[in-house]
Amino acid sequence: MNARAFTTDVVFGVVPIALVVAIWQALVSFGYAPVTLLPPPGLVFDRLAQQLMTGTFQQEIAATLFRLFAGFAIAVVLGVTIGLAAAASPAVNAVVRPLVRVLAPLPKVALYPALLLLLGFGHESKITLVAADALFPILLSTFYGASMVEQKLIWSAMAAGTPRREILFKVVLPAAMPSILTGCRIGLVISCIVVFLAEMITSTDGLGHLLVTAARTFQAVDMFVPLITISLLGLILNGALEALRAFLLRGFPEVLCNV
Amino acid sequence: MISARAVLARATPVLACLGLLAVWQATSLVLNNDSFPTAIEAIRAIPLILGDKEALINILASLRRMAIGFGVAVAMSIPLGLMMGRSRTVASFFNPLLMVIYPVPKAALMPIIMLWLGVGDIAKTLVIFLGVSLPVIYHSFAGAKAVEEKMLWSGAAMGLSAAQRMTRIVLPAALPEILTGCRTGLVLALITMITSEMIARQSGAGNILFNALDMGQYDTVFAMIIIVGAMGIGLDALFEKMRARLVKWSEPQFDIPVSFS
Repeated sequence: MNARAFTTDVVFGVVPIALVVAIWQALVSFGYAPVTLLPPPGLVFDRLAQQLMTGTFQQEIAATLFRLFAGFAIAVVLGVTIGLAAAASPAVNAVVRPLVRVLAPLPKVALYPALLLLLGFGHESKITLVAADALFPILLSTFYGASMVEQKLIWSAMAAGTPRREILFKVVLPAAMPSILTGCRIGLVISCIVVFLAEMITSTDGLGHLLVTAARTFQAVDMFVPLITISLLGLILNGALEALRAFLLRGFPEVLCNV
Repeated sequence: MISARAVLARATPVLACLGLLAVWQATSLVLNNDSFPTAIEAIRAIPLILGDKEALINILASLRRMAIGFGVAVAMSIPLGLMMGRSRTVASFFNPLLMVIYPVPKAALMPIIMLWLGVGDIAKTLVIFLGVSLPVIYHSFAGAKAVEEKMLWSGAAMGLSAAQRMTRIVLPAALPEILTGCRTGLVLALITMITSEMIARQSGAGNILFNALDMGQYDTVFAMIIIVGAMGIGLDALFEKMRARLVKWSEPQFDIPVSFS
């Protein structure tokens, strides 16, 4: 892609977002929507900037981020381990496959009440829910990535005298990396969404809790602030993962270009 | 031998279900906790819920909203996704907007939408619609993008108009990918439905779940979880059957849906 096409893309991409904000502003300023229901964008962004400076708001973000990362980290560790194990050993695969088949389409959020009863209303139940939801995309893409590794690569490594155990880490894991990272990306977005929802359903802190409190007191401005914050967080985390991906996949130019 | 193997392959998901229930039963017996009923107690409570007329009406109303939201979302998302896949301009126009919306939990919009539209069916259906749209758009986009140019050129050379090329070449070629998106969307519709009802707490399956939790009817809570889980697995299996019939010629890349809220 040359620089000019890139600039055109950026301009075209900004237009609809600007348009949405403009329509939003127009709806308010021409009086189609009362300010109490739809606060003007300027007010919302002012409030967001003002909130970001306050310590309490930062604490709420920290609580949300802690749960998000804890759940996501558990999901990555479990997903990659189980995925690799299932791809490497037919016996593990025979056990994991039917379990995943049943558990993957299950709406995990329905398990949340059970988690509340078992783990309490604190961090644990929310982290478990995030991990359960982010686990399957990571597990599945690790599994598919690892089972697609070219057999020739493994044979060459064996011929070169690599012990079986090391083949998994030196050949299969790097070769499956692009696929694993794609799974992680889906898992990350899911973690963002799930942590917010769990906080909305029952919580005493976090961004989701802020939204619910604002909704109970009909503070429309404060309802938009956590939503925009979670969207920004998602974009930032996605960007960070993209940078990590570019770093980890330096050896895979063909995969990087496809993004 | 082959048939025995086929039977075994069919039976593994059932075995997995039974295994999970057995693990549940064993854990609850070991923990011996009041708030964690055994699997058998929970299963015994299922007929009680399904026999209760009000609960049944609630669950059916939830399913109706879900079906409408899913249907409208699919009908609108597929054309948009296909156009994004075939035209660079359309793609660069919508892509950033969709990226901004992507990490926003759709069910979290429930309080705001309720403020505008009230707590009726429209608000809940709209939230489901929003939840389903994005994966369907993205998968149709990816499917349409991967269509071979040569087929389009041949179509154009044989005098097909742009609209005809879209419906007769791009749509069938992208169909496997589109259906993968719809499958994700279907699971999502169920998740969004439950979540929005948990947040709005007014009616529906999610509401029954949390009311039971508040009143300490733990066997009802777990029975509802089984019902919702069975809905998810059942709908997914049904869709998979339909998908296999529609696109017999294409092997799915992922035979298990990547579900998320």
